[in-house]
Amino acid sequence: MARILNGVDVEALESSLAVIGAQPEAAHAPKTSRVRWLSGLKFKTLVRNHSFLVDEPAHLAGEDESPNSVEYVLGAYGACLATGFVLNATKRGITIRNLEVSLESTQNNVFTFLGLGSEGHPGFEEIKAKLYVQADADEAAIREIWDHTVKTSPVHNILTRTARISTELDVIP
Amino acid sequence: MSAKELPLFPVTVVGSWPRPRYLLEALRKRQAGQLSFEEFNEVADKAVLEALRYQEEAGVDIVSDGEQRRDNFYSFVVEKLDGVKLMTLADILDVVEDKASFDKILRSLDAPAFAIKNPTVVGKLRPRRPLALDEYLFLRQHTDKPIKIPLPGPYLLARSMWVKGVSDAVYPTQEELAVDLVEILRNELIALRDAGAAFVQFDEPVLTDVVFNVGVKERTFMCASMAATSGDPTRELIFATRLLNSIVEGVDGVKTGVHICRGNWSRKDEVLLKGSYEPLVPTMMGMRVDQLVLEFATPRAGELAVFEHYPRAREIGLGVANPRSDEVESPEFVIGKVKEALRYFAPEQIYLNPDCGFGTFAERPMNPAEIAFEKLRTIARAAEQLRASI
Repeated sequence: MARILNGVDVEALESSLAVIGAQPEAAHAPKTSRVRWLSGLKFKTLVRNHSFLVDEPAHLAGEDESPNSVEYVLGAYGACLATGFVLNATKRGITIRNLEVSLESTQNNVFTFLGLGSEGHPGFEEIKAKLYVQADADEAAIREIWDHTVKTSPVHNILTRTARISTELDVIP
Repeated sequence: MSAKELPLFPVTVVGSWPRPRYLLEALRKRQAGQLSFEEFNEVADKAVLEALRYQEEAGVDIVSDGEQRRDNFYSFVVEKLDGVKLMTLADILDVVEDKASFDKILRSLDAPAFAIKNPTVVGKLRPRRPLALDEYLFLRQHTDKPIKIPLPGPYLLARSMWVKGVSDAVYPTQEELAVDLVEILRNELIALRDAGAAFVQFDEPVLTDVVFNVGVKERTFMCASMAATSGDPTRELIFATRLLNSIVEGVDGVKTGVHICRGNWSRKDEVLLKGSYEPLVPTMMGMRVDQLVLEFATPRAGELAVFEHYPRAREIGLGVANPRSDEVESPEFVIGKVKEALRYFAPEQIYLNPDCGFGTFAERPMNPAEIAFEKLRTIARAAEQLRASI
């Protein structure tokens, strides 16, 4: 019978990691996405076989049907930290009873995006992330997992390191 | 000692006592469904007797059971009433539209949604067990002292239990829920009176939230004010008074009181509410209870002079020890507070107690039992000196 810990099939996880680890090219984890304009400030984003809406809040002339892009980044950061913590705790055989990540962020100057100013940039100025967790392990072990999780979180690294980004334009007649 | 033989300046408690570790473990198992109500109560019996022993040894005249069977001062009703479910804020966030205001509460508390548990009305309220008669009957077997039973106030319950998006399917408004709450609480008061309880105290801490957060329509979380208010403090205070009076009016033979404080969930003074009782005094005077159980040890509570225009209008349960501080107050501090209170209350109207419980929330005790004991003992010593001097 499969050994399930924290809702994760431990053997399936271990065998998946073994398979992925044997494929050096998988380390780069290529990804694709496509974003289509719907109307107003609303967009549909496709990722693999999933899609999600992106919208702006009403005070920015959106319809507030879904989070905006920056909010997705913030939420994705929290979800990434949570995922990493569950993954690492499960690998160490630790049972998690409750887990929550609380996040707060500020942007350097969102006015530059809105055309209301030119100082600074609209990127994140500061992000605070706090993990609340109840788990069957001592605090030192939990802290060690948390530190490792933050250090190895993909989104954490995305936010703290610069990617080589190229952009293009194609005007369709 | 019967209630009639109480000495001058009787020493009592607001209700809760810090829970021992084994009780917290049992509580966790009970909430996870791993212990039955009866199995949990067997564990709690021992803790109640320990809490009683501390009070008796400290010289408390009117004792409580330390609220040892309760996870906190109000949400224990889930064990007693059908139609109520203990939902975490994480559960509630899934179903309410106004998620942002709940998130704001959590940020102000620096707490995760899974840790905040709220008794939420999900069906028609029906008594499954007495609210507190079982607590009283157990304690009665083990002490001769008069017993105080704290009950959650009707306004507190109406504010905390009615959650829009969950409860309105059964009770479209808080007012409709309050009708059933009043009936349940009044029946409990009568049952406790008939069984011989000396003192029933209704806890209404959210009243300070009403007057100190004037104009705030958003939810706050002053102990338990989960539901949004009308935003009109006058209307809220009239509502609270009407509910309490509907419970106590015409019920003689038991002392009734209302306890109003500014929060007791954190030892950080700056996160608790602050302000004089002044805007609440007219409301208190409209409440037809015998005693006002109020905090006055903490400077955040303001001055006793707020009763200047209401001389000897009610008894006072005078808060003379801060349950949240490490330092044990001196007898002189207690005596000073009583002397101040004597300007507005007759000696026989003054009861002495800490500002609030020592363990309002089971998992967040404000002090260990040893310090709570020392604080009570100091109050009792001060009471002895006061009796000797009058």
